[in-house]
Formats: sequence, structure tokens, C-alpha cells
Amino acid sequence: MILAHLALSNVRNYHTLDLDPEPGLNLFIGANAQGKSNLLEALSMLGTGKSFRAARDREIVREGVELAVMRGSAVTRSGNVELACSIAQTERGSRKTYTLNGHAVRYARYLGTLRVVTFVPSDLQLVTGPPSLRRGFLNAALAQDRSDYYRALAQYRTALAQKNAVLRAESVDAELLEIYEEQLIESGTTIVLARDHFVRELAVEAARAHGRFAAERERLDVAYAANAPYEAPTGDAVAAGLRAALRAQARTERVRRIALVGPHRDDLVLQLDARPLAAFGSQGQQRTAVLALKVAEYAVMERRADEAPLLLLDDVLSELDAERARAFLAGVGAFEQAFVTSALPIAGPLHPARTWNIRAARIEAVAC
Amino acid sequence: MPAPGSIVGPVAALINEFSKLPTIGPKTAARLVFYLLNRPRHESQMLADAIMEAKDRVRFCSICFALTEADPCTLCTDEQRDPAMLCVVAEAKDIFAIERTGAFRGRYHVLGGLISPMDGVGPAELHVKELVERVGSTATAEILIATNPNAEGEATALYLARLLQPLGSLVTRLAYGLPIGGDLDYADETTLARALEGRRSM
Ligand SMILES: [Zn+2]
Repeated sequence: MILAHLALSNVRNYHTLDLDPEPGLNLFIGANAQGKSNLLEALSMLGTGKSFRAARDREIVREGVELAVMRGSAVTRSGNVELACSIAQTERGSRKTYTLNGHAVRYARYLGTLRVVTFVPSDLQLVTGPPSLRRGFLNAALAQDRSDYYRALAQYRTALAQKNAVLRAESVDAELLEIYEEQLIESGTTIVLARDHFVRELAVEAARAHGRFAAERERLDVAYAANAPYEAPTGDAVAAGLRAALRAQARTERVRRIALVGPHRDDLVLQLDARPLAAFGSQGQQRTAVLALKVAEYAVMERRADEAPLLLLDDVLSELDAERARAFLAGVGAFEQAFVTSALPIAGPLHPARTWNIRAARIEAVAC
Repeated sequence: MPAPGSIVGPVAALINEFSKLPTIGPKTAARLVFYLLNRPRHESQMLADAIMEAKDRVRFCSICFALTEADPCTLCTDEQRDPAMLCVVAEAKDIFAIERTGAFRGRYHVLGGLISPMDGVGPAELHVKELVERVGSTATAEILIATNPNAEGEATALYLARLLQPLGSLVTRLAYGLPIGGDLDYADETTLARALEGRRSM
């Protein structure tokens, strides 16, 4: 898909912005604090309703105003779509609303219309960082891919918070505990199944991409490590696995007063030539694996939707050496549209369709 | 002496009182206060009187916990209403919503909230015990649980169903559907999926 037009109003340091990006690679060059990351954050929010910086919504709204609006015109396989994400700042907190072609829609309906794959410097910790980073990586892709995944995730988080509150109470209400565990099993099964299927596809793509990056000298294995084991990737087997694990850990959970079972404790296992990558890999090997994972994420997202998502790279190519940066873009291959920011002109043949300068929240095309 | 331009005692106190109300923040509270101060005295008097009148004369019904002037309330004493049909709602205001439809002619029970342990609300904080006693002491054919279709509403409904089903009454739940006049194309999949599950023959 292509974003043909982007309009921002009161988003971060942008009072107003009207931008007509080109198909292909759009390269944004600017010094720090001029609005590069803010632009990519806005693009990511337009697609997902969420900031990749994990910022609070009120931080997105430009200081001193009450309403921030991100608006886009996208050309997709199923036609042209006008989409908008607004954040209204009130005394009682902030409220986000979404519209598609002028109709107000709920978030679950909005999500997945404009699909994005983001790659930011913090993603370089994907191999060595905590499991929550890898779950976040899976969630970001799957929530855009399937609206029932996002719904299940939201239900799971609420039921988990309720279960933890029941476990922390002075006397544990067994009846309530059972109700929340049933909800956890139901939403958890959707989450686990989706992750299982996704990681199977991801593993194939990641091994393929990694093989190209490492000239087939090493083999990258990606596997899904579900917290509650199951015999087969089917709804019944996964639900039975969750139920059995909950039963087995019931006493421990009561004693420790915290929920220990379920997909909130899942992880990805990353191995290089059958050795754990986080423990045994060099920094270079770990970075190469991250690139392979991001290329794989892009490939799976593209295949599943039968449409190329937008590629958003915030200040990440400059973090890589020229060879890896080139390899990454070659790995992604035929992206339809990419937004790439950098503080410095990037070495190597990037072939941008257009280069833009960003200065003090003003964006100007560099004359070709 | 307060600094010039700062807000003086009684005004600050009134703004503070208004901002304790739900959905009213300090800015809105200030706007309301300055509006009142600019209006004739009798308007403020009427507002104050209306608040005190409501506060003094309205209480919670000792049977159903609806807001009422007389205890028990007219909903509980109305002979035209079917005492064997009981509708359970979260808040007293939900009764107004159901009454506006004119489609329900039974009695009500207000829980006073929804179960949400993470917000410190368990069954003991709600009128659950009173509900069980009521169902146990009067012949109730059907208990309709009309809580919101969100996570707390669902959990509360499940909890009540487990509690009430052994007492022998039929326990039902409001159906889920599409909003009338809504557009199928823009309905989110949750709503649509639930509406499909709840489809009926015609
Ligand atoms: Zn009553």
C-alpha cells in the first residue's frame, strides 16, 4: 500500500503538516530534535493507534492545545481509504478516536487498515533484551494482522489484572478465580494459537533471510516457547494445555499471590547453529539476527495481507554498518513505500525516490 | 492577603467542590463557578435548594436499591409488575434506560456496581447477598442479568449465574446485537461476531 497524503495537526512539534510522500523510499534528513522521530511516530500511530516510543497519549498532543489529529489518504488493494486518528486532551485524561472514510469506528475495526512495520534503534535489543520485548514484537505484528488477536490480547490483560487482584486479596475468592481463569483460557488460546502459527511462518522467512546475510555459513533457528505446553497447535489442545498448567501451578500461584501461567510469560527461542544466541552470539551475530527477524516480519505481514505494509525505519540504518544496512533493504526487497530517517546522509546506494529535509518541524523536498 | 489575580477563599472552595464531581476537572469547575457568580442570586439559591431537596427526599429502596422517595419504591410496590421477573442492573440509572423501552414489566435489583477486584470491588461490596436472599424468599421464574457487555459486566454476570442457577430460577442475559441504524460495513468484528452468535430465525 501507499500513503499518498499525510496531514498532521498539533502532533508533537508539528503545528500543521501536509506531506505528499512518493511511492518507494522517502528519506528524511535532519539534525536531532527537528521532528524526524516525531514524523515516524505519527505515521506509526496513524496505522496502529500506538506510539513506538511507548509515550503517553498526552505527550503526542502539542503543548497548550487540546486536540491532535493525524490524517492519511492511503491507496490500498481494496481501494482508497481516508483514515484519521485523533487524540483529545481533556482535564480528565486523553481520548483517542478513529475514523475510516469519515465514519467513526472502534479501534478493533480501525487497526489493520494501514499496516506498518517499524524498525527503531530499540529493536536492536530484540535478541538480548527481556522476553517482554519479543512478546511486544509478536503482538505488534499480530494485532495488525487479525482483529481477533487484538481483542483477545485486551481481554487477556484485563482478566490477568483481575486474577492478580483476586490472588492478592486477604481471602481468595475461589469462584471469582475460576471465572477469570476461564476468561484467561479462552483469550489465551486465541493468543497462543496465533503466535504458534505466526512464528512457524516467521521462522522460515528468518532462516532464509539470515542465510543470505551470513552467506549460508550459519543457521538461525526461531521457535515459539509457549509458557504452557500443548500437544498440538489446535484450539482444544492449547486450551487443555493452559488448563493443565493452571492446575499444576495453582498452589504456587496462591502462595506467591501472582499469576504465573499463560501467554504473558511466553518467549521466542533464538538459536544460532543450535546455540542460544543471546548467550553465545557476538554483537554482530545478534544484530544480523535482528535484521533477519525484521525482514521476516515484513515478509509474513506482506504475504498474509497480500499487500506490502509501509516500512518505517527511524534512525536505524545509521546504527548499522553500510553492509548490513544495504543487506537489510535488499532483504526487504520489493517494498512499495518506505519512510527512512537519518541525521546524516546515508552512505551507500539507497536510491531514495525522494529526499526531504526536516528542520524545525518543516519538511521540504530536496530538489532532484 | 492573596496575591493580586489569584482566586480568593470562597471561590476557590467552590471550585474545589465542583471538581470533586465526576467528569468535572478544575477548568470546567472554574467555568461553572464564574458562570454562577455572574448570574442573579436566586438562580444559585434554586440550584442549592434542588440539591438539598433531592438529597433529603431521595434514598435507596431497601428492597431493590433503586433511587426513591418512598421506601419501598413504586417499582417494588406496583401490583401491575410481575414479581416473578427480576432484572439485575449495575447502577440505579440503568433502570431508567430499561424503563424508557417500556418492554420490561418485572421488578429490578440494583447491584451498585460491577465486580472488579483490581478496583477493589468484590461481591461483598455490592448488593449480591441481598439479591440471593430476595431470590430465595420470593418465587422468581426468571432472572435477567442486564449488565454491560464489557469485561466487568461479563464477569459479574457469570458470577451471578453460578450463584443463582442452583436456586432453580431461569437465569438469562441481554442479547448482543448491532446498533439499529448502524452500518454493517463499519461494525467492528466483535460486535458482528456476537450478533451472528445471537441470530434468530424469522
Ligand atoms: Zn424498590
